[in-house]
Amino acid sequence: AGVLAAHKITASSPDTELPTVSGLRKMGVNFTVSNKDTVKSSDVLFLAVKPPIIPFILEEVGPDIEARHIVVSCAAGVTISSIEKKLSTFCPTPKVIRCMTNTPVIVREGATVYATGTHADVEDGKLLEQLMASVGFCTEVEEDLIDAVTGLSGSGPAYAFTALDALADGGVKMGLPRRLAVRLGAQALLGAAKMLLESEQHPGQLKDNVCSPGGATIHALHFLESGGFRSLLINAVEASCIRTRELQHLADQEEISPAAIKKTLLDKVKLESPSLSVASASKVSLFTSKS
Amino acid sequence: GKVPASSVVASAPSDKNLDAWRESGCRTTHCNLEVLQESTLVFLATKPHVLPGVLQEIRPAVGPHHVIVSLAAGVTLQTLQRLLPAGTKVLRLMPNLPCVVQAGAMVFARGSGAGDEEAALLKNLLSSCGLCEEVPESYINIHTGLSGSGVAYVYLFAEALAEGAVKMGMPGGLASRIAAQTLLGAAKMMLETGEHPAKLRGDICTPGGTTIHALHQLEKGALRATVMNAVEAATNRACDMAED
Repeated sequence: AGVLAAHKITASSPDTELPTVSGLRKMGVNFTVSNKDTVKSSDVLFLAVKPPIIPFILEEVGPDIEARHIVVSCAAGVTISSIEKKLSTFCPTPKVIRCMTNTPVIVREGATVYATGTHADVEDGKLLEQLMASVGFCTEVEEDLIDAVTGLSGSGPAYAFTALDALADGGVKMGLPRRLAVRLGAQALLGAAKMLLESEQHPGQLKDNVCSPGGATIHALHFLESGGFRSLLINAVEASCIRTRELQHLADQEEISPAAIKKTLLDKVKLESPSLSVASASKVSLFTSKS
Repeated sequence: GKVPASSVVASAPSDKNLDAWRESGCRTTHCNLEVLQESTLVFLATKPHVLPGVLQEIRPAVGPHHVIVSLAAGVTLQTLQRLLPAGTKVLRLMPNLPCVVQAGAMVFARGSGAGDEEAALLKNLLSSCGLCEEVPESYINIHTGLSGSGVAYVYLFAEALAEGAVKMGMPGGLASRIAAQTLLGAAKMMLETGEHPAKLRGDICTPGGTTIHALHQLEKGALRATVMNAVEAATNRACDMAED
């Protein structure tokens, strides 16, 4: 998102046929099939692989990790301590940051949180924050809140997509063409979210502001309340959070199958921007190429 | 305490209800016409089906100086004005039970003959019993659903709160008193801070704490919708009864 020049980014994947690979290449990102090369040429490493693969990646790149490296894991349910433990066999004080983001980073409206590990400095956290803030909202949290964040904003877009699908159905039922219904529904949610983010007011107050006495909206809201709309949403966030914890628990116990290592991986950095800009001097030092 | 008791006269067919008035130092009578002769501001507090008869009775004695305030549920200003001399200053009042402890919620609507002066007089006088607001007549039935009957909803909620506490091991009497005080306190905060109840609710909910767990239960039970249903049902019933 314009924060970092593409040529300062290196992505690695064993499978060069993936559409993401060509997409990254087109942006001018350096590409390699070797995870080790990636580590050598970078200072910040984003591990964007599925959780079961993390231990393998760490084994593979561990020997090349140096004190300067900041290892950022976006893997759901993989704790900082598990990564630190794995890396400590190679590097005494590995800098680890754990983050949880969501899919709308693709349109630069992501919601990202991060928690810093034992050896990560304040500046390391701030660097990550700066990078992720270019694709949306980013803030630091205590690691034990990450499951709740998953339940809320990690899964949140899915709740929204479901709602939008249904809203569009409602529109179609009442006579709107599907495309228009989808467009209007999405815009309504976008606008409402924007109003809330820009307002000091409580969402309850904003809701009241839309409900004229005896009008259409209050009648509709009554239906939502009758259906337990609010409790459904609370249930959803809770279920997602609890499941995240369960998966983490399972992951802590499981032996990783060798078959998993054969799965297609993409080790990539998440910054996408069609407009490239040169990183400022302070960032250049962290991304200098070693060779 | 705005009007001295000696300036108040109450009339009823039997002594049954008049004792309480007498005890406060008010004058009493069995003659409705006497009230009209002695007073400017007259409150009609009979049951709705009795009212037309009373209006017929007092009509000859009603003059342009009188201010007639009806508390009869469901009897419209139109009806009142029809049964009284043309141009009579008529207002319609809907109180609720806690007026008796000076914490009432009252609304009133003015008829065509009543002006700002009469409205101000009534509002000023009744504010000593609680909240008193002028409204369009169409809001009166809604007030019934919200606050007239609403008091009963609160009693129900209070009872349920206390029962929850009893289930968890607290004696009933204590639970009841605490439940009532909780409602009182919450209401007081709403009125004094003027903040949106959603915000006040959020302020109490510490992350992962007891309150949010409890609220989730309430939401699961669709409490909000149920309450909306209750207000709607009472309002609709008030409208239906008015037409009878």
